[in-house]
Formats: sequence, structure tokens, C-alpha cells
Amino acid sequence: MFEISCEEVLREVELYIDGELEQARASHLADHLRGCTPCMRHAEFRARLKEIVRTKCRSEAPEHLVVRIRTVIREEQGPTSV
Amino acid sequence: MKQDQATSELQARFEAEALPLLSGMYSTAFRLTRNAADAEDLIQETFLRAYRGFHQFEEGTNLKAWLYRILMNTFINSYRKKQRQPQTVSDDEVPEWYLYSKMAESGMEPSAEASVIESLPDEDVQAALSSLPEQFRAAVLLADVEGFSYKEIAEITGVPIGTVMSRLHRGRKALEKRLWDVVRERGLVRD
Repeated sequence: MFEISCEEVLREVELYIDGELEQARASHLADHLRGCTPCMRHAEFRARLKEIVRTKCRSEAPEHLVVRIRTVIREEQGPTSV
Repeated sequence: MKQDQATSELQARFEAEALPLLSGMYSTAFRLTRNAADAEDLIQETFLRAYRGFHQFEEGTNLKAWLYRILMNTFINSYRKKQRQPQTVSDDEVPEWYLYSKMAESGMEPSAEASVIESLPDEDVQAALSSLPEQFRAAVLLADVEGFSYKEIAEITGVPIGTVMSRLHRGRKALEKRLWDVVRERGLVRD
């Protein structure tokens, strides 16, 4: 089977986690990761970091903003419909 | 009147399809402008522009990406001028796998490494992201927080995919450096 080196895996794992590798390449990487603990640890760390950024950097829109936008849109179309 | 009916149909469709995306977009607006008042104004301007141009939106195409593109353009045109800051990251000295290596060097168990970052207050991670120059911050936000593909980010920000990849990679490295500074300042790791 076509082998990938740890160096290549560590270089491409960011693309792999982002879901941006071609399917064939992604499955080669997945095979390597299954059999290589150090690479797997790197990959897991990278994936968790991405998840941490996703969950911690969300801010809920204040309720009044949704109301404000809805009002602005409704006012916008009123006078122009002549 | 026919005109009125068409307008109210368009308005109903906009409210049903675009407004539910407002909450996620507010996060992005907040991280871009870095304060609530500007974020609200940016969202309002974005939705007003989107509504005015909604009749040109091709149904069945990517509404979320279309709205984010308007958001980014509005931000660049109206807010970027106010936020003078360097548009580069000095990441040349940040090696690959910076945070992972630093954590490992500090004698931490591999499974505990990410948990330390996870234990940080949300505000710390948000501040670390906010400290990145805008282009890098936008790339990380769009990819990691909003889950857009590289191709979508290229369309939203109007740059080639190669540029997106480079900004994302450099932005993440710079973010790792800031996060390492935070965990050290908080005394969560041995230096």
C-alpha cells in the first residue's frame, strides 16, 4: 500500500481536519493515524483546538437586535411600494 | 396591487430564510468589530443591504455565504477605516505545532493538553482571537466558528483559495502563540 510519512501527515493534517483533502488522500491519512500514536495525538489536539475556538467564540445576538432588524426591513419596504 | 404582493412575498421569504442566520452572523460581527454597539450597527447595515439586494439573490444558491459576503464587504467599507492596525502577523518565528510542543515541553500528559485550553474562560479565547489582525481573524472565524469551506471563504472574502489557506494557517499559528501566552499568564502550565 501507498505509505505516507509522519512528516507529510503532520503537514496535511490541518487540511484533513478541515475536510479539505481529496477522499483518497484523506483515507491514506486516516490509515496512518490509526497506526501511529504520535501523529494521532497531534491530530486530536488540532481537532480539539478547532472545536474549542468554535464553541468559545460564539456570542448570542441580543434579542432586541432581531426585533430592530425586523422593524428596519418592514419600514424599508413600506414607502417604496408605489 | 401586484407590486405590493411581490414585495410582501420577498419580505416574507427574507424574514423566513435570512433572519434565522442573524445570530451566527452577530458572533462574526462582534469578533470583527470587537464591540457590541458596532457589531449591532454592522448587522443592521448588512441586513438592510441584503434585503435591498435580495431580489438579485439566486434562489437555491448559498444564502449563508451570500450574506457573509455582504457582511465582510460592509465591514471593510464602513468599519475597517476606524480600526487602524497592522495587517500582518509576525509569525515567522512561530514554529509549526507551536502550542502542542510547548504543552508537551511543560511536562503535560497528551490528553491534558487540550483540556487546559478548554478550561480557559471563553473571554480569554475570544480575546486571543480578537487580537489577530483582521484578515487572519476573519479566516479563522469563517473556517472554525462558522464552518465554511475554503472555497466558500474565498468567495466571501474575495481572495483566491491559496490566500485563504495561507491566512488560515498563519492565523492559527498566531492564535496558538496568544493562547500559550494566556495559559502561561494564568499559571496553568510550568514554563
